[in-house]
Amino acid sequence: MSLVAEAFVSQIAAAEPWPENATLYQQLKGEQILLSDNAASLAVQAFLQMCNLPVKVVCRANAEYMSPSGKVPFIHVGNQVVSELGPIVQFVKAKGHSLSDGLDEVQKAEMKAYMELVNNMLLTAELYLQWCDEATVGEITHARYGSPYPWPLNHILAYQKQWEVKRKMKAIGWGNKTLDQVLEDVDQCCQALSQRLGTQPYFFNKQPTELDALVFGHLYTILTTQLTNDELSEKVKNYSNLLAFCRRIEQHYFEDRGKGSSSIRLP
Amino acid sequence: MAAPLELSCWGGGWGLPSVHSESLVVMAYAKFSGAPLKVNVIDNTWRGSRGDVPVLTSEDNIVSQPAKILNFLRKQKYNADYELSAKQGADTLAYIALLEEKLLPAMLHTFWVESDNYFSVTKPWFASRIPFPLSLILPGRMSKGALNRILLTRGEPPLYHLREVEAQIYRDAKECLNLLSNRLGTSQFFFGDTPSTLDAYVFGFLAPLYKVRFPKVQLQEHLKQLSNLCRFCDDILNSYFRLSLGGISPAGQETVDANLQKLTQLVNKESNLIEKVKFTSIIILY
Repeated sequence: MSLVAEAFVSQIAAAEPWPENATLYQQLKGEQILLSDNAASLAVQAFLQMCNLPVKVVCRANAEYMSPSGKVPFIHVGNQVVSELGPIVQFVKAKGHSLSDGLDEVQKAEMKAYMELVNNMLLTAELYLQWCDEATVGEITHARYGSPYPWPLNHILAYQKQWEVKRKMKAIGWGNKTLDQVLEDVDQCCQALSQRLGTQPYFFNKQPTELDALVFGHLYTILTTQLTNDELSEKVKNYSNLLAFCRRIEQHYFEDRGKGSSSIRLP
Repeated sequence: MAAPLELSCWGGGWGLPSVHSESLVVMAYAKFSGAPLKVNVIDNTWRGSRGDVPVLTSEDNIVSQPAKILNFLRKQKYNADYELSAKQGADTLAYIALLEEKLLPAMLHTFWVESDNYFSVTKPWFASRIPFPLSLILPGRMSKGALNRILLTRGEPPLYHLREVEAQIYRDAKECLNLLSNRLGTSQFFFGDTPSTLDAYVFGFLAPLYKVRFPKVQLQEHLKQLSNLCRFCDDILNSYFRLSLGGISPAGQETVDANLQKLTQLVNKESNLIEKVKFTSIIILY
Protein backbone atom coordinates (compact mmCIF):
# COMPACT_ATOMS: atom_id res chain seq x y z
CA MET A 1 0.00 0.00 0.00
CA SER A 2 1.25 3.49 -0.69
CA LEU A 3 1.98 5.80 2.18
CA VAL A 4 -1.10 7.93 1.60
CA ALA A 5 -3.40 4.93 1.50
CA GLU A 6 -1.91 3.60 4.70
CA ALA A 7 -2.35 6.91 6.52
CA PHE A 8 -5.95 6.97 5.34
CA VAL A 9 -6.60 3.44 6.55
CA SER A 10 -5.12 4.06 9.96
CA GLN A 11 -7.29 7.18 10.30
CA ILE A 12 -10.35 5.09 9.67
CA ALA A 13 -9.07 2.40 11.98
CA ALA A 14 -8.60 4.83 14.81
CA ALA A 15 -12.17 6.00 14.57
CA GLU A 16 -13.89 2.71 15.41
CA PRO A 17 -13.49 0.51 18.46
CA TRP A 18 -12.72 -3.19 18.18
CA PRO A 19 -15.93 -4.98 17.11
CA GLU A 20 -17.22 -8.21 18.57
CA ASN A 21 -17.26 -10.06 15.30
CA ALA A 22 -13.60 -9.76 14.30
CA THR A 23 -12.45 -12.87 12.47
CA LEU A 24 -9.08 -14.39 11.73
CA TYR A 25 -8.74 -16.50 8.60
CA GLN A 26 -6.29 -19.33 8.15
CA GLN A 27 -6.12 -22.52 6.15
CA LEU A 28 -7.88 -25.73 7.19
CA LYS A 29 -6.43 -26.88 10.44
CA GLY A 30 -6.53 -30.59 10.19
CA GLU A 31 -5.60 -31.30 6.61
CA GLN A 32 -4.16 -28.28 4.89
CA ILE A 33 -2.21 -25.85 7.03
CA LEU A 34 1.57 -26.09 7.02
CA LEU A 35 4.12 -25.54 9.77
CA SER A 36 5.12 -21.97 8.89
CA ASP A 37 1.56 -20.75 8.33
CA ASN A 38 0.39 -22.38 11.55
CA ALA A 39 3.21 -20.62 13.42
CA ALA A 40 2.25 -17.23 11.96
CA SER A 41 -1.41 -17.75 12.73
CA LEU A 42 -0.71 -18.83 16.31
CA ALA A 43 1.51 -15.79 16.81
CA VAL A 44 -1.33 -13.46 15.77
CA GLN A 45 -3.82 -15.31 17.95
CA ALA A 46 -1.48 -15.07 20.93
CA PHE A 47 -0.93 -11.37 20.31
CA LEU A 48 -4.66 -10.63 20.17
CA GLN A 49 -5.25 -12.68 23.33
CA MET A 50 -2.52 -10.72 25.07
CA CYS A 51 -4.25 -7.47 24.06
CA ASN A 52 -7.56 -8.89 25.31
CA LEU A 53 -9.21 -8.51 21.94
CA PRO A 54 -11.73 -11.21 21.02
CA VAL A 55 -11.33 -12.85 17.65
CA LYS A 56 -12.96 -15.86 16.02
CA VAL A 57 -10.78 -18.24 14.05
CA VAL A 58 -12.27 -19.31 10.74
CA CYS A 59 -10.64 -21.93 8.55
CA ARG A 60 -10.96 -21.62 4.80
CA ALA A 61 -9.21 -23.56 2.11
CA ASN A 62 -8.53 -20.49 0.00
CA ALA A 63 -7.35 -18.25 2.85
CA GLU A 64 -4.02 -17.64 1.11
CA TYR A 65 -5.76 -16.21 -1.94
CA MET A 66 -8.19 -14.11 0.07
CA SER A 67 -5.39 -12.38 1.89
CA PRO A 68 -4.40 -8.93 0.56
CA SER A 69 -0.70 -9.73 0.67
CA GLY A 70 -0.89 -13.42 -0.15
CA LYS A 71 0.18 -14.44 3.32
CA VAL A 72 -1.81 -15.92 6.14
CA PRO A 73 -3.18 -15.20 8.63
CA PHE A 74 -5.27 -12.16 8.02
CA ILE A 75 -7.94 -10.54 10.15
CA HIS A 76 -11.22 -9.07 9.05
CA VAL A 77 -12.21 -6.26 11.38
CA GLY A 78 -15.12 -4.02 10.62
CA ASN A 79 -14.65 -3.39 6.93
CA GLN A 80 -10.86 -3.70 6.86
CA VAL A 81 -8.64 -6.62 6.07
CA VAL A 82 -5.10 -6.69 7.46
CA SER A 83 -2.61 -9.51 7.03
CA GLU A 84 0.63 -10.55 8.73
CA LEU A 85 1.77 -9.81 12.27
CA GLY A 86 3.62 -6.53 11.57
CA PRO A 87 0.71 -4.67 9.95
CA ILE A 88 -1.74 -6.22 12.45
CA VAL A 89 0.32 -4.82 15.33
CA GLN A 90 0.24 -1.39 13.68
CA PHE A 91 -3.51 -1.67 13.07
CA VAL A 92 -4.20 -2.64 16.67
CA LYS A 93 -2.00 0.21 17.84
CA ALA A 94 -4.06 2.66 15.79
CA LYS A 95 -7.11 1.41 17.65
CA GLY A 96 -5.42 2.28 20.91
CA HIS A 97 -4.17 -1.11 22.15
CA SER A 98 -0.48 -1.66 22.39
CA LEU A 99 1.78 -4.03 24.32
CA SER A 100 5.05 -2.21 23.77
CA ASP A 101 4.21 1.32 24.91
CA GLY A 102 6.00 0.86 28.19
CA LEU A 103 9.34 0.15 26.56
CA ASP A 104 11.99 2.79 26.08
CA GLU A 105 13.73 3.44 22.76
CA VAL A 106 16.60 1.03 23.30
CA GLN A 107 14.22 -1.75 24.34
CA LYS A 108 12.00 -1.12 21.34
CA ALA A 109 15.05 -1.40 19.09
CA GLU A 110 15.96 -4.69 20.78
CA MET A 111 12.44 -6.01 20.42
CA LYS A 112 12.34 -5.24 16.70
CA ALA A 113 15.79 -6.76 16.23
CA TYR A 114 14.75 -10.02 17.93
CA MET A 115 11.55 -10.18 15.89
CA GLU A 116 13.66 -9.91 12.76
CA LEU A 117 15.94 -12.65 14.09
CA VAL A 118 12.95 -14.98 14.45
CA ASN A 119 11.71 -14.09 10.97
CA ASN A 120 15.14 -14.36 9.43
CA MET A 121 16.20 -17.64 10.98
CA LEU A 122 13.26 -19.60 12.37
CA LEU A 123 10.72 -18.79 9.68
CA THR A 124 13.22 -19.32 6.86
CA ALA A 125 14.32 -22.61 8.41
CA GLU A 126 10.68 -23.74 8.62
CA LEU A 127 10.13 -22.83 4.98
CA TYR A 128 13.33 -24.66 4.01
CA LEU A 129 12.30 -27.76 5.89
CA GLN A 130 8.83 -27.75 4.39
CA TRP A 131 9.67 -27.06 0.79
CA CYS A 132 13.32 -27.86 0.12
CA ASP A 133 13.86 -31.05 2.10
CA GLU A 134 12.80 -33.84 -0.22
CA ALA A 135 11.66 -36.24 2.47
CA THR A 136 9.31 -33.74 4.10
CA VAL A 137 8.07 -32.43 0.78
CA GLY A 138 7.17 -35.84 -0.51
CA GLU A 139 5.53 -37.18 2.62
CA ILE A 140 3.84 -34.18 4.14
CA THR A 141 3.88 -30.89 2.31
CA HIS A 142 2.66 -31.83 -1.16
CA ALA A 143 -0.17 -33.89 0.20
CA ARG A 144 -1.30 -31.26 2.68
CA TYR A 145 -0.93 -28.18 0.48
CA GLY A 146 -3.05 -29.49 -2.35
CA SER A 147 -5.54 -31.48 -0.28
CA PRO A 148 -8.66 -29.28 -0.82
CA TYR A 149 -8.28 -29.32 -4.58
CA PRO A 150 -9.06 -31.99 -7.19
CA TRP A 151 -6.43 -33.64 -9.37
CA PRO A 152 -4.46 -32.22 -11.23
CA LEU A 153 -4.81 -28.86 -9.54
CA ASN A 154 -3.39 -30.10 -6.28
CA HIS A 155 -0.12 -31.14 -7.91
CA ILE A 156 0.18 -27.99 -10.00
CA LEU A 157 -0.36 -25.65 -7.06
CA ALA A 158 2.05 -27.56 -4.86
CA TYR A 159 4.79 -27.54 -7.49
CA GLN A 160 4.25 -23.86 -8.19
CA LYS A 161 4.57 -22.98 -4.52
CA GLN A 162 7.65 -25.15 -4.18
CA TRP A 163 9.28 -23.41 -7.13
CA GLU A 164 8.52 -20.01 -5.63
CA VAL A 165 9.99 -20.91 -2.25
CA LYS A 166 13.09 -22.43 -3.85
CA ARG A 167 13.65 -19.21 -5.83
CA LYS A 168 13.43 -17.21 -2.65
CA MET A 169 15.86 -19.50 -0.83
CA LYS A 170 18.35 -19.15 -3.66
CA ALA A 171 18.05 -15.36 -3.67
CA ILE A 172 18.85 -15.06 0.03
CA GLY A 173 21.72 -17.52 -0.11
CA TRP A 174 20.05 -20.52 1.53
CA GLY A 175 19.85 -22.49 -1.71
CA ASN A 176 23.10 -24.32 -1.09
CA LYS A 177 22.60 -25.05 2.57
CA THR A 178 22.27 -28.60 3.74
CA LEU A 179 19.68 -29.68 6.28
CA ASP A 180 22.35 -29.95 8.96
CA GLN A 181 23.44 -26.36 8.41
CA VAL A 182 19.83 -25.21 8.64
CA LEU A 183 19.37 -27.10 11.91
CA GLU A 184 22.60 -25.48 13.18
CA ASP A 185 21.10 -22.08 12.40
CA VAL A 186 17.92 -22.99 14.27
CA ASP A 187 20.02 -24.05 17.23
CA GLN A 188 21.93 -20.75 17.16
CA CYS A 189 18.68 -18.81 17.02
CA CYS A 190 17.17 -20.77 19.93
CA GLN A 191 20.35 -20.26 21.91
CA ALA A 192 20.17 -16.51 21.34
CA LEU A 193 16.49 -16.44 22.37
CA SER A 194 17.20 -18.57 25.43
CA GLN A 195 20.07 -16.33 26.50
CA ARG A 196 17.98 -13.23 26.02
CA LEU A 197 15.05 -14.70 27.98
CA GLY A 198 17.22 -15.90 30.83
CA THR A 199 15.08 -16.51 33.92
CA GLN A 200 12.50 -13.83 33.24
CA PRO A 201 8.86 -14.76 32.63
CA TYR A 202 8.68 -12.77 29.40
CA PHE A 203 11.28 -11.18 27.16
CA PHE A 204 10.78 -7.72 28.63
CA ASN A 205 10.29 -8.84 32.17
CA LYS A 206 6.78 -8.63 33.50
CA GLN A 207 4.61 -7.85 30.52
CA PRO A 208 4.35 -9.81 27.30
CA THR A 209 4.94 -7.99 24.05
CA GLU A 210 4.54 -8.86 20.38
CA LEU A 211 7.97 -10.50 20.51
CA ASP A 212 6.65 -12.99 23.08
CA ALA A 213 3.66 -13.71 20.84
CA LEU A 214 5.87 -14.30 17.81
CA VAL A 215 8.35 -16.54 19.63
CA PHE A 216 5.51 -18.51 21.23
CA GLY A 217 3.81 -19.00 17.86
CA HIS A 218 6.90 -20.44 16.25
CA LEU A 219 8.24 -22.52 19.13
CA TYR A 220 4.88 -24.02 20.09
CA THR A 221 4.19 -25.02 16.50
CA ILE A 222 7.64 -26.57 16.13
CA LEU A 223 7.19 -28.51 19.36
CA THR A 224 3.75 -29.84 18.57
CA THR A 225 3.88 -30.61 14.87
CA GLN A 226 4.65 -34.11 13.69
CA LEU A 227 7.27 -34.10 10.94
CA THR A 228 9.19 -36.91 9.28
CA ASN A 229 11.83 -36.66 11.96
CA ASP A 230 12.06 -34.94 15.30
CA GLU A 231 15.32 -33.08 14.81
CA LEU A 232 13.74 -29.63 14.67
CA SER A 233 11.77 -30.04 17.87
CA GLU A 234 14.78 -31.66 19.57
CA LYS A 235 16.76 -28.49 18.90
CA VAL A 236 14.15 -26.43 20.73
CA LYS A 237 13.78 -28.94 23.57
CA ASN A 238 17.42 -28.43 24.49
CA TYR A 239 16.51 -25.10 26.07
CA SER A 240 14.42 -25.60 29.15
CA ASN A 241 13.59 -21.95 29.72
CA LEU A 242 12.05 -21.78 26.25
CA LEU A 243 9.88 -24.82 27.05
CA ALA A 244 8.77 -23.23 30.31
CA PHE A 245 8.03 -20.00 28.42
CA CYS A 246 5.76 -21.81 25.94
CA ARG A 247 3.94 -23.66 28.71
CA ARG A 248 3.42 -20.47 30.62
CA ILE A 249 1.87 -18.63 27.71
CA GLU A 250 -0.23 -21.63 26.74
CA GLN A 251 -1.62 -21.95 30.24
CA HIS A 252 -2.15 -18.27 30.77
CA TYR A 253 -3.63 -17.20 27.50
CA PHE A 254 -5.10 -20.24 25.87
CA GLU A 255 -6.46 -22.46 28.57
CA ASP A 256 -7.74 -19.96 31.05
CA ARG A 257 -9.98 -18.45 28.45
CA GLY A 258 -11.55 -21.83 27.83
CA LYS A 259 -10.11 -22.14 24.33
CA GLY A 260 -7.70 -24.95 23.56
CA SER A 261 -5.89 -23.65 20.55
CA SER A 262 -4.52 -27.08 19.88
CA SER A 263 -5.76 -30.38 21.16
CA ILE A 264 -2.15 -31.60 21.36
CA ARG A 265 -0.62 -30.68 24.69
CA LEU A 266 3.01 -29.79 25.09
CA PRO A 267 5.10 -32.86 25.93
CA MET B 1 49.36 -17.62 12.73
CA ALA B 2 51.90 -19.05 10.38
CA ALA B 3 49.62 -19.44 7.40
CA PRO B 4 49.12 -16.14 5.61
CA LEU B 5 45.49 -15.12 5.26
CA GLU B 6 44.60 -13.53 1.96
CA LEU B 7 41.36 -11.74 1.34
CA SER B 8 40.25 -10.98 -2.15
CA CYS B 9 37.63 -8.25 -2.32
CA TRP B 10 36.40 -5.21 -4.17
CA GLY B 11 38.51 -2.09 -3.85
CA GLY B 12 37.89 1.26 -2.27
CA GLY B 13 36.89 4.74 -3.19
CA TRP B 14 35.45 7.92 -1.68
CA GLY B 15 37.68 7.47 1.36
CA LEU B 16 36.67 3.88 2.07
CA PRO B 17 38.92 0.81 1.94
CA SER B 18 36.18 -1.00 0.07
CA VAL B 19 32.93 0.02 -1.55
CA HIS B 20 31.33 -3.41 -1.21
CA SER B 21 29.48 -3.96 2.09
CA GLU B 22 30.42 -7.58 2.66
CA SER B 23 34.10 -6.99 1.91
CA LEU B 24 34.07 -4.05 4.29
CA VAL B 25 32.53 -6.15 7.08
CA VAL B 26 35.34 -8.70 6.80
CA MET B 27 38.07 -6.05 6.61
CA ALA B 28 36.70 -4.23 9.67
CA TYR B 29 36.44 -7.46 11.67
CA ALA B 30 40.02 -8.37 10.77
CA LYS B 31 41.22 -5.00 12.01
CA PHE B 32 39.21 -5.26 15.24
CA SER B 33 40.41 -8.77 16.06
CA GLY B 34 44.01 -8.18 15.00
CA ALA B 35 44.04 -10.77 12.25
CA PRO B 36 46.89 -10.17 9.79
CA LEU B 37 45.06 -10.05 6.49
CA LYS B 38 46.67 -9.51 3.15
CA VAL B 39 44.11 -7.73 1.02
CA ASN B 40 44.08 -8.42 -2.71
CA VAL B 41 41.93 -5.88 -4.46
CA ILE B 42 40.14 -7.11 -7.54
CA ASP B 43 41.27 -5.21 -10.59
CA ASN B 44 40.67 -5.48 -14.28
CA THR B 45 43.29 -8.09 -14.99
CA TRP B 46 42.25 -11.69 -15.32
CA ARG B 47 43.86 -12.73 -12.05
CA GLY B 48 41.56 -14.13 -9.39
CA SER B 49 37.87 -14.86 -9.46
CA ARG B 50 35.09 -12.38 -9.32
CA GLY B 51 32.21 -14.53 -8.19
CA ASP B 52 31.21 -14.85 -4.55
CA VAL B 53 33.43 -12.05 -3.30
CA PRO B 54 34.78 -11.60 -0.56
CA VAL B 55 36.84 -14.78 -0.45
CA LEU B 56 39.40 -15.71 2.19
CA THR B 57 42.18 -18.07 1.20
CA SER B 58 44.60 -19.60 3.66
CA GLU B 59 46.80 -22.59 2.79
CA ASP B 60 44.21 -25.02 1.57
CA ASN B 61 41.01 -23.43 2.86
CA ILE B 62 38.77 -21.27 0.76
CA VAL B 63 35.95 -19.62 2.67
CA SER B 64 33.42 -17.42 1.03
CA GLN B 65 30.53 -15.66 2.77
CA PRO B 66 31.11 -13.00 5.49
CA ALA B 67 29.45 -15.08 8.24
CA LYS B 68 31.56 -18.11 7.35
CA ILE B 69 34.74 -16.02 7.05
CA LEU B 70 34.16 -14.52 10.48
CA ASN B 71 33.58 -18.00 11.94
CA PHE B 72 36.82 -19.18 10.35
CA LEU B 73 38.75 -16.25 11.81
CA ARG B 74 37.27 -16.97 15.24
CA LYS B 75 38.42 -20.58 15.00
CA GLN B 76 41.92 -19.30 14.23
CA LYS B 77 41.76 -17.44 17.56
CA TYR B 78 41.11 -14.01 16.08
CA ASN B 79 38.08 -13.22 18.17
CA ALA B 80 36.75 -9.70 18.67
CA ASP B 81 33.90 -10.94 20.88
CA TYR B 82 35.50 -12.66 23.84
CA GLU B 83 34.63 -9.83 26.19
CA LEU B 84 30.94 -9.98 25.36
CA SER B 85 28.42 -11.60 27.70
CA ALA B 86 26.05 -14.29 26.46
CA LYS B 87 23.19 -11.81 26.23
CA GLN B 88 25.33 -9.42 24.19
CA GLY B 89 26.22 -12.25 21.85
CA ALA B 90 22.50 -12.93 21.40
CA ASP B 91 21.87 -9.22 20.79
CA THR B 92 24.58 -9.28 18.10
CA LEU B 93 22.74 -12.01 16.19
CA ALA B 94 19.46 -10.16 16.51
CA TYR B 95 20.82 -6.84 15.27
CA ILE B 96 22.59 -8.48 12.35
CA ALA B 97 19.24 -10.05 11.39
CA LEU B 98 17.65 -6.59 11.65
CA LEU B 99 20.28 -5.14 9.31
CA GLU B 100 19.81 -7.92 6.78
CA GLU B 101 16.03 -7.78 6.76
CA LYS B 102 15.38 -4.06 6.98
CA LEU B 103 18.41 -2.18 5.73
CA LEU B 104 19.84 -4.46 3.06
CA PRO B 105 16.91 -4.27 0.57
CA ALA B 106 17.04 -0.47 0.51
CA MET B 107 20.84 -0.51 0.20
CA LEU B 108 20.66 -2.92 -2.71
CA HIS B 109 18.04 -0.69 -4.27
CA THR B 110 20.12 2.48 -3.85
CA PHE B 111 23.23 0.89 -5.32
CA TRP B 112 21.94 -1.47 -7.96
CA VAL B 113 18.34 -0.85 -8.91
CA GLU B 114 17.73 2.90 -8.82
CA SER B 115 18.55 3.71 -12.44
CA ASP B 116 20.20 7.11 -11.92
CA ASN B 117 22.53 5.73 -9.28
CA TYR B 118 23.23 2.49 -11.09
CA PHE B 119 24.07 3.93 -14.48
CA SER B 120 26.04 6.95 -13.30
CA VAL B 121 27.95 5.56 -10.33
CA THR B 122 27.76 1.84 -9.59
CA LYS B 123 28.03 0.38 -13.07
CA PRO B 124 31.02 2.48 -14.25
CA TRP B 125 32.84 1.84 -10.97
CA PHE B 126 32.45 -1.94 -11.10
CA ALA B 127 32.94 -2.13 -14.85
CA SER B 128 36.30 -0.37 -14.54
CA ARG B 129 37.46 -3.11 -12.20
CA ILE B 130 36.36 -6.04 -14.30
CA PRO B 131 38.22 -7.09 -17.43
CA PHE B 132 36.58 -6.67 -20.79
CA PRO B 133 34.35 -8.35 -22.01
CA LEU B 134 33.17 -9.56 -18.61
CA SER B 135 32.62 -5.91 -17.68
CA LEU B 136 29.68 -5.82 -20.04
CA ILE B 137 27.95 -8.75 -18.42
CA LEU B 138 28.80 -8.96 -14.74
CA PRO B 139 27.42 -5.61 -13.49
CA GLY B 140 24.14 -6.33 -15.23
CA ARG B 141 23.97 -9.72 -13.60
CA MET B 142 24.71 -8.26 -10.19
CA SER B 143 21.96 -5.70 -10.72
CA LYS B 144 19.45 -8.37 -11.67
CA GLY B 145 20.45 -10.41 -8.65
CA ALA B 146 19.81 -7.43 -6.38
CA LEU B 147 16.41 -6.75 -7.94
CA ASN B 148 15.50 -10.41 -7.63
CA ARG B 149 16.41 -10.48 -3.99
CA ILE B 150 14.33 -7.40 -3.22
CA LEU B 151 11.28 -8.65 -5.07
CA LEU B 152 11.38 -12.20 -3.78
CA THR B 153 11.73 -11.19 -0.16
CA ARG B 154 9.41 -8.19 -0.18
CA GLY B 155 7.20 -8.48 -3.19
CA GLU B 156 3.82 -10.11 -3.36
CA PRO B 157 3.34 -13.23 -5.40
CA PRO B 158 2.35 -14.08 -8.05
CA LEU B 159 3.06 -10.75 -9.73
CA TYR B 160 6.11 -8.95 -8.47
CA HIS B 161 6.03 -5.15 -8.93
CA LEU B 162 8.82 -2.90 -7.80
CA ARG B 163 6.82 0.27 -7.29
CA GLU B 164 4.68 -1.13 -4.51
CA VAL B 165 7.72 -2.38 -2.70
CA GLU B 166 9.97 0.69 -3.04
CA ALA B 167 8.16 2.93 -0.58
CA GLN B 168 7.95 0.12 1.97
CA ILE B 169 11.64 -0.81 1.83
CA TYR B 170 12.82 2.77 2.20
CA ARG B 171 10.49 3.28 5.13
CA ASP B 172 11.82 0.11 6.77
CA ALA B 173 15.42 1.20 6.15
CA LYS B 174 14.86 4.60 7.71
CA GLU B 175 13.23 2.95 10.71
CA CYS B 176 16.19 0.58 10.99
CA LEU B 177 18.64 3.50 10.94
CA ASN B 178 16.64 5.22 13.68
CA LEU B 179 16.67 2.06 15.78
CA LEU B 180 20.44 1.68 15.36
CA SER B 181 20.95 5.30 16.32
CA ASN B 182 18.79 4.85 19.44
CA ARG B 183 20.72 1.75 20.41
CA LEU B 184 24.14 3.36 19.89
CA GLY B 185 23.27 6.49 21.85
CA THR B 186 26.41 8.32 22.86
CA SER B 187 28.76 5.35 23.31
CA GLN B 188 31.69 4.84 21.05
CA PHE B 189 30.88 1.26 20.06
CA PHE B 190 27.79 -0.86 20.45
CA PHE B 191 29.11 -2.88 23.39
CA GLY B 192 31.36 -0.76 25.56
CA ASP B 193 34.74 0.55 24.51
CA THR B 194 36.02 -2.16 22.23
CA PRO B 195 34.62 -2.91 18.81
CA SER B 196 33.03 -6.29 18.14
CA THR B 197 31.33 -8.25 15.38
CA LEU B 198 28.22 -6.06 15.48
CA ASP B 199 30.33 -2.93 15.01
CA ALA B 200 31.97 -4.57 11.99
CA TYR B 201 28.59 -5.38 10.44
CA VAL B 202 27.07 -1.96 11.12
CA PHE B 203 30.18 -0.25 9.78
CA GLY B 204 30.21 -2.46 6.69
CA PHE B 205 26.59 -1.65 5.90
CA LEU B 206 26.58 2.03 6.79
CA ALA B 207 29.93 3.29 5.52
CA PRO B 208 29.25 2.84 1.78
CA LEU B 209 25.84 4.43 2.22
CA TYR B 210 27.45 7.33 4.03
CA LYS B 211 30.39 8.04 1.78
CA VAL B 212 29.58 7.12 -1.80
CA ARG B 213 28.32 10.09 -3.82
CA PHE B 214 25.02 9.31 -5.50
CA PRO B 215 22.60 11.44 -7.53
CA LYS B 216 19.52 10.02 -5.76
CA VAL B 217 20.26 10.17 -2.07
CA GLN B 218 17.15 9.94 0.08
CA LEU B 219 18.56 7.26 2.36
CA GLN B 220 21.93 8.99 2.59
CA GLU B 221 20.25 12.25 3.61
CA HIS B 222 18.41 10.39 6.36
CA LEU B 223 21.63 8.79 7.55
CA LYS B 224 23.43 12.13 7.64
CA GLN B 225 20.83 13.44 10.05
CA LEU B 226 21.73 10.72 12.55
CA SER B 227 24.96 12.28 13.74
CA ASN B 228 25.98 9.52 16.14
CA LEU B 229 25.99 6.94 13.33
CA CYS B 230 28.08 9.27 11.13
CA ARG B 231 30.49 9.84 13.99
CA PHE B 232 30.67 6.05 14.51
CA CYS B 233 31.71 5.50 10.87
CA ASP B 234 34.21 8.36 10.89
CA ASP B 235 35.77 7.14 14.14
CA ILE B 236 36.34 3.66 12.77
CA LEU B 237 37.71 5.00 9.50
CA ASN B 238 40.13 7.27 11.31
CA SER B 239 41.33 4.82 13.94
CA TYR B 240 41.54 1.59 11.99
CA PHE B 241 41.83 2.50 8.37
CA ARG B 242 44.12 5.51 8.38
CA LEU B 243 46.56 4.00 5.92
CA SER B 244 47.02 7.00 3.67
CA LEU B 245 49.17 8.84 6.24
CA GLY B 246 52.66 7.40 6.73
CA GLY B 247 51.92 3.94 5.48
CA ILE B 248 51.91 2.46 8.98
CA SER B 249 48.48 1.80 10.42
CA PRO B 250 47.90 3.28 13.90
CA ALA B 251 48.06 -0.15 15.52
CA GLY B 252 51.50 -0.63 13.96
CA GLN B 253 52.54 2.85 15.01
CA GLU B 254 51.59 2.09 18.59
CA THR B 255 53.75 -1.02 18.77
CA VAL B 256 56.67 0.96 17.36
CA ASP B 257 56.13 3.61 20.01
CA ALA B 258 55.89 1.00 22.75
CA ASN B 259 59.12 -0.63 21.64
CA LEU B 260 60.83 2.73 21.53
CA GLN B 261 59.62 3.45 25.02
CA LYS B 262 60.92 0.14 26.32
CA LEU B 263 64.27 0.74 24.67
CA THR B 264 64.57 4.22 26.17
CA GLN B 265 63.76 2.86 29.61
CA LEU B 266 66.39 0.16 29.25
CA VAL B 267 69.00 2.66 28.10
CA ASN B 268 68.13 4.91 31.02
CA LYS B 269 68.46 2.02 33.45
CA GLU B 270 71.78 1.04 31.94
CA SER B 271 73.10 4.59 32.14
CA ASN B 272 71.96 4.84 35.77
CA LEU B 273 73.77 1.64 36.54
CA ILE B 274 76.91 2.88 34.84
CA GLU B 275 76.72 6.11 36.83
CA LYS B 276 76.40 4.16 40.07
CA VAL B 277 79.31 1.91 39.21
CA LYS B 278 81.47 4.91 38.30
CA PHE B 279 80.53 6.65 41.53
CA THR B 280 81.25 3.63 43.70
CA SER B 281 84.51 2.98 41.89
CA ILE B 282 85.59 6.60 42.41
CA ILE B 283 84.76 6.30 46.10
CA ILE B 284 86.65 3.01 46.35
CA LEU B 285 89.61 4.51 44.60
CA TYR B 286 89.70 7.24 47.06
